[in-house]
Amino acid sequence: MNPLTGKVSLITGSSRGIGRAIAMRLARDGSAIVINFRRNAGPSLKQAEELRDDIEQEGRKTLLVQADISQKDSVQSLFSDIKKHFGRLDFLILNAARAPFKPIEKLFERELKQLVETNYLGNIFCIQEGLPLLKESRGSIVFVSSLGSRFYNPAYPLGSMKAAMESVVRDCSESLRDDGVSVNAVCGGIVKTDSFKVLRQYWENIDMLPEDLFVEPAEIADTVSFLCSPESRGIHGQSIVVDRGLSNALYRPMSKK
Amino acid sequence: MSQNLITEEKVFEELKKAIVETLRVDENDIKPESSLIHDLGAESLDFLDINYRLEQAFGIKMARHFVLEHIEEMFGEGTAIDENGQLTEKAIQLLKIRFGEDMPELKPGMDMDEVPSLVTAQSIAQGVMDILESIPDQCSKCSSTAWKTDDGTHVACGSCGEAAAYANGDDLIKEWLTNVQEEKKIF
Repeated sequence: MNPLTGKVSLITGSSRGIGRAIAMRLARDGSAIVINFRRNAGPSLKQAEELRDDIEQEGRKTLLVQADISQKDSVQSLFSDIKKHFGRLDFLILNAARAPFKPIEKLFERELKQLVETNYLGNIFCIQEGLPLLKESRGSIVFVSSLGSRFYNPAYPLGSMKAAMESVVRDCSESLRDDGVSVNAVCGGIVKTDSFKVLRQYWENIDMLPEDLFVEPAEIADTVSFLCSPESRGIHGQSIVVDRGLSNALYRPMSKK
Repeated sequence: MSQNLITEEKVFEELKKAIVETLRVDENDIKPESSLIHDLGAESLDFLDINYRLEQAFGIKMARHFVLEHIEEMFGEGTAIDENGQLTEKAIQLLKIRFGEDMPELKPGMDMDEVPSLVTAQSIAQGVMDILESIPDQCSKCSSTAWKTDDGTHVACGSCGEAAAYANGDDLIKEWLTNVQEEKKIF
């Protein structure tokens, strides 16, 4: 009935947005969920606790871990917590992201470092530290990418990191093949999460895009769920675009408000 | 400073509306001196929502970047925020000129993460007023000098109907910074 019963999934950056939607979806699939968030201050802890309650309502086990994935020791303790608590990990969902919104040539050194540390190094730390458990379970890694990996977006330096990570996905898919660990990505279109609020500031009249081109977080989550299911066993190293067709067309009739 | 048709009362009214819609707080709890973060429970992303609503309401562009970022863009990385993420003496000096002397939290060593809590209803309203006051003397399209407003928030040319072309918030901050620098030579 529930295809992921007995499995354990970690979703990095899952207190809100797409990460939250993925956590809920995998929980409904039967998986126990490790909820991760970066900051103990601010609203994250409260949001993570709400998510924990929602998942436990579904009858699933949870583990709440505060960890900043850009810090290697923080990642190490995240995975040792998972090992202690559940003793296994089947799905590593690399969702956490953090970046300034500015044209890339205007980034200060500290912003560039943070960009690379969270969105590239952090993901690789997670792969490295999660690997022993993932090899044991012959599990899967799914990276949450975005169309910024291949198309320009105003003030969106994160796109360059998404592109780098899609290459990592392809490479790891091959290098981890013999370990039975599958690696893929879901490449999302425009999703109305918190980060959309920032994007909206730089994308003049984004509201004039037809409403049916905006992707729901649940649509990304459904594809992640598919990539965690045996039905996707033939897919390796791919970045699957989930954008409601936004990137198909050069021409699009604009509707006036 | 030609002929801003929009009153400060109207700005405050729209600001209250934007805050209530974003933060779901009681309108009566919003005072000019309320810190959005400390007093009204906002988090930093809420500022984007509030700004967006104000932009829609008045047909303006609020600043995307805070003064500190403009300082560093103008005078170089490290001039406003040191390697530990703390405000420099010069940044504090400048913020005092902008926000007033009577803010005890404004002292060197202040963490950059604490800066957003300086934002009050009054400081947002002032930002809106600064933009509205940047209205040019004449319409950019037909050069008419007669502005009109039908709804008390959007200003358009009384002759051809073109929307007023205000300066954007970031440009005004840069202009202000340039003037302060010229006068006080802080950096």
